[in-house]
Amino acid sequence: MISLRFPRLKFERIVVLTGADAIKISALSVVISFMVFGAFLSFEGADPLVAYEHIFSFAFDPKLGLPTTLHRGFFLIFNTLAFIIPLAAGIWNIGMEGQFYLGTIGAFAVAYSFPDLSPAALIPLMLISGAIFGAAYGALAGFLKGKMNVNEVVVTIMLNNIAFWLVYLLTVGGPWAGIAESTSRPLPENAWAPMIWDTPFTGILVIALAILVYFFLKKTTIGYQIRILGSNPIVAKHVGISAPKISVLVMAIGGAIAGLSGYHMWAGDPAFLMIPRPEAYKAIGDLTYWGIILGLICLLNPLASVPASIFIGSIIVGTTVLVRRLRLPFGLDVLFLGIISLVFAAFQFFHQYRIKRVKVVRR
Amino acid sequence: MSITEADILFKDVKKGETILEMRGITKIYPGGVVANDHIDFDLKAGEIHALLGENGAGKTTLMNILYGLLRPDEGEIYIRGRKVVFKSPLDAIRMGIGMVHQHRKLIPAHTVLENIVLGHPKVGKILNLDEIEREVRELCEQYGFKLDLHAKVWQLSAGEKQMVEIIKALYRGARILILDEPTSELTPLEIEKFLESIKVMAEKGLGIVPFVTHKLPIVLRVADRITILRRGKVVARMRREEATMLNLAKKMVGREVLFRTVRVKAKIGEPILEVRDLHALNDRGVPAIKGISFTVREGEIFGIAGVTGNGQQELAEVLMGLRKPIKGKIIFRGRDITNASILERWKLGMGYIPPEREFGAIKDFTLVENIAMNYYFDEKFVKSKLLLDYNKLRELAMKAISEFNIMAPSVDTKAGHLSGGNLQKLILARVMMRRPKLLIANLPTHGLDVGATEFVRNKLMEYKREGAAVLLISEDLDEVLSLSDTVAPIYEGRFVSILPIERVKKEEIGAMMAGAFS
Amino acid sequence: MIWPFITRSLEIATILLLAAIGELLDERAGVLNVGIEGLMLFGGAAGFIAALKWGLLPGFIVGTIVGGAFGLLHAILSITLKVNQVVSGMGIWLFAMGFVTYWADRYSGPLPMGMVSPRIYGLSPMFFIALAIVFVIWFILSRTHLGLKIRAVGEDPSTAEVSGVNVIRIRYLCTTIGGLLGGLAGAFLVLTYLACWSHLPTMGLGWVALALVMFSLWRPPILLAGALLFGFIWQFAISPETIYAGIPAPLPILRMLPFAVTIIFLTAISTERFRRKWALAKPAALGQPYIKE
Repeated sequence: MISLRFPRLKFERIVVLTGADAIKISALSVVISFMVFGAFLSFEGADPLVAYEHIFSFAFDPKLGLPTTLHRGFFLIFNTLAFIIPLAAGIWNIGMEGQFYLGTIGAFAVAYSFPDLSPAALIPLMLISGAIFGAAYGALAGFLKGKMNVNEVVVTIMLNNIAFWLVYLLTVGGPWAGIAESTSRPLPENAWAPMIWDTPFTGILVIALAILVYFFLKKTTIGYQIRILGSNPIVAKHVGISAPKISVLVMAIGGAIAGLSGYHMWAGDPAFLMIPRPEAYKAIGDLTYWGIILGLICLLNPLASVPASIFIGSIIVGTTVLVRRLRLPFGLDVLFLGIISLVFAAFQFFHQYRIKRVKVVRR
Repeated sequence: MSITEADILFKDVKKGETILEMRGITKIYPGGVVANDHIDFDLKAGEIHALLGENGAGKTTLMNILYGLLRPDEGEIYIRGRKVVFKSPLDAIRMGIGMVHQHRKLIPAHTVLENIVLGHPKVGKILNLDEIEREVRELCEQYGFKLDLHAKVWQLSAGEKQMVEIIKALYRGARILILDEPTSELTPLEIEKFLESIKVMAEKGLGIVPFVTHKLPIVLRVADRITILRRGKVVARMRREEATMLNLAKKMVGREVLFRTVRVKAKIGEPILEVRDLHALNDRGVPAIKGISFTVREGEIFGIAGVTGNGQQELAEVLMGLRKPIKGKIIFRGRDITNASILERWKLGMGYIPPEREFGAIKDFTLVENIAMNYYFDEKFVKSKLLLDYNKLRELAMKAISEFNIMAPSVDTKAGHLSGGNLQKLILARVMMRRPKLLIANLPTHGLDVGATEFVRNKLMEYKREGAAVLLISEDLDEVLSLSDTVAPIYEGRFVSILPIERVKKEEIGAMMAGAFS
Repeated sequence: MIWPFITRSLEIATILLLAAIGELLDERAGVLNVGIEGLMLFGGAAGFIAALKWGLLPGFIVGTIVGGAFGLLHAILSITLKVNQVVSGMGIWLFAMGFVTYWADRYSGPLPMGMVSPRIYGLSPMFFIALAIVFVIWFILSRTHLGLKIRAVGEDPSTAEVSGVNVIRIRYLCTTIGGLLGGLAGAFLVLTYLACWSHLPTMGLGWVALALVMFSLWRPPILLAGALLFGFIWQFAISPETIYAGIPAPLPILRMLPFAVTIIFLTAISTERFRRKWALAKPAALGQPYIKE
């Protein structure tokens, strides 16, 4: 137990965090984030409530922002799942960015190699290739961690940076360069994701994945072993669970899912259908880090990642309206995301501790 | 050397003068456990006054109070006649009390000198290591310690590490040295050196308090006085002349009524476990098992009696696959499993109850999920090779609740909500319901109340009657004697003897556990 | 044509030196801050805006202080509130990306004419300041009692506590200094190397600095050598023709190099052989929160 400078308060460790508590904490974080951002809005001369109304009405308007909201939301679900699975085994996969890039490379390599294959054959092939590339990249980090206990946080961050430049190597003036020399060639039409009501089919794929992951962790024997390793590695060892094998497995699965998001991102959004300039694809790559925050908010529950990701997706899309429509200063859109990430990170405190009043007892 | 507060306090101390008095020390833990019950203890300058007692006798609590880690509920401490109150170890250090921990409190990556100097109040901002080195070397010479001050601590042997801790305490002006199990990790040669050095320290007027649970022969060689604790009280005070191995052991272990568990005789059958010439190292790379051979048969409870730290934990770990032996063979039901994986051992029919409940159950998981830990690899409980059959597992959990008398609202309760006793029963259930042919019960009643303890013991007895082989490891001699068919006292990694229960005399076993006859 | 290349390399090396030596100090005390990129963004943005208002020197000072403030925030989150250090670092970085864009992008563009950083024959004096800082930190860590305490806290905080060291205070100190230096690095990047503000100008240098700390095995002398090496590789990647005309050294591969090399280093020090020889290069308690029981 630790005491703050104010002697009447102390922190008490929480033994078991219930789902209900987690939802309350998340709700509180959301409210605080809205209030903080609201302050900025007021400072810039806008009415917060009006602004929020604009943001969400735009984001969820089927004719305006909804398709993109869903698209970005689905993207986040992929990357949240990619973070959740390794963390269930106690491994911090910070490498979604790199695995996403590798998945992009895997998918595009297939598309460029077999542009004339029918979509029914090409697209599954692209998905599989993306998954394999992502899985390999993840498994590399998992192997280093499981076998040699190299810190996975640092390794995955390094791998992310390497992967960014790998994509650069291929696109900017490289073998995949398009006419502009800084983006890639367009994807062949057969590679484009089929759309249902303006959303790519990969949306269904990812929701199915979320459900699958949920059952995988809860019901299968391997999922069970993963959870035991994540809860208590010593107990895991005592009952015969192999940490090195599971480490590689979870990182491979996580990497594969993040790899799938490569196809989804570029082939699933008609505005892209290619790998854009480095600044642009880096901006998307940075979005993968939201997988971490979302994973923690959802208490590692894959099903919860769906609504949470869509919510963040709506903010990503909706806040663009602030600059375009309301003529507010540039950057206000990304500011909201920034505030949310800091507030949610800080509120992780409440996942571990309660604040209690100390009754001063006189002897 | 820079003057410390302790220097002033201990100015002109004469040998034989009482420098430490603890009067009426009482400490009661929440829950009512009386760890120390009005203990009086005193120490003279130049004296080695040993404190003996089993685990749970109250030594650690008393030691922590003396060192400032705990506050007593009643009682006072006087140093050279002056009443002192310690709010933290730093207060105790300032007053001249130094402690050498059993598990070294040193930083392995730093050098000896750096460890000695860390946090010393009189060391200046800039480390003038030459000056300090000179002073420390003088100190080492004074007490006959040979240390390479620039070696990194991780390179040192256990004995050298202990020397570093002693010098560290002395450099901070310690006049009273508390030694926690000082010889438990030393080789025989290091033990000799150590005994020499504490004699020298006593010569120079320091007061030394070694706390020991065993290694009686060693204590007898150097202690001037011996105080024995049992159940939180002082039960004997002796001078060296009066003490013998046997009467010390008797006082430590006490004359106790055996528990009501009735020993049942079962038909002894085939050998299930054969261990041949087993050798293994502990975590520090020091030999912990030095050639153990024995056999456990169907229908037999083989009890290993010993104080913690003599190799029993390592033995259990090697048998279960948690630790690799460096020599020897383990044969289970006729099969050489020396190199088998942990999972294989479970599958082949071995079962292990770990010594700490934290190693055996996950608090966040429900009862069902905890039971599943021993069934996830069992085809009968896995549907279509992939899915855990939770229905069958729930049935199993309900059976566990009734057979093992576990007080829990339902099988979906989280294990963290169970009391210690019920948690232990859960672990027992999970392991025993698989009917392992060999059950290794490692400290199975550790920390349990009387009711749970009796339940566990009866269960073990029942299990043996069904024809299983049970290997029991326990620190409670009464428990070993009341349950076992064969008793093997363990001391420093070897079995002192292996005796059938009929030929066992309690005091003899107690003495063997403590080092006699070895 | 080689001299400008050298001076620009040294400027990158300076940025890396400042950011990395701060993080090295932080990690020696056991606290991991992955958000160096964020510190540099804040330092750069604050520095740029302050410079526009009050001049270059105030710009540097303000950038440094703002960096320190966020270093302090990281300390509060991860030390007192026990938030996981990676989460705290990431949270601050993501916040930085958003906040700095909002705050400073409206000022995008070069510094006003005449606001040029002082240079001696093209070499920025900040390089020497950075060298001095590295020397000072090296001296503190290896020759002072304070440095011994810092290292002890990073190895085994509970042993340090029992020996009389105030673990919490030391960790706060080192994390805040790491913040100050990260902010200074960012300010220098924006005010001297780039002399302008653009969207997210740090170009990933924060991550290179993080790699550099690991690469240096937490030893300042190796850090210095590594910074020069990485700086050279970084600058070489964007002006290969300065050195060897005709050798097409692709930018991406050179940019990847520091990270790949760091992974190899990290793997090497985790092998048994290395552990036995050079044992325990990593501060043992790095990344673990200190909980006083």
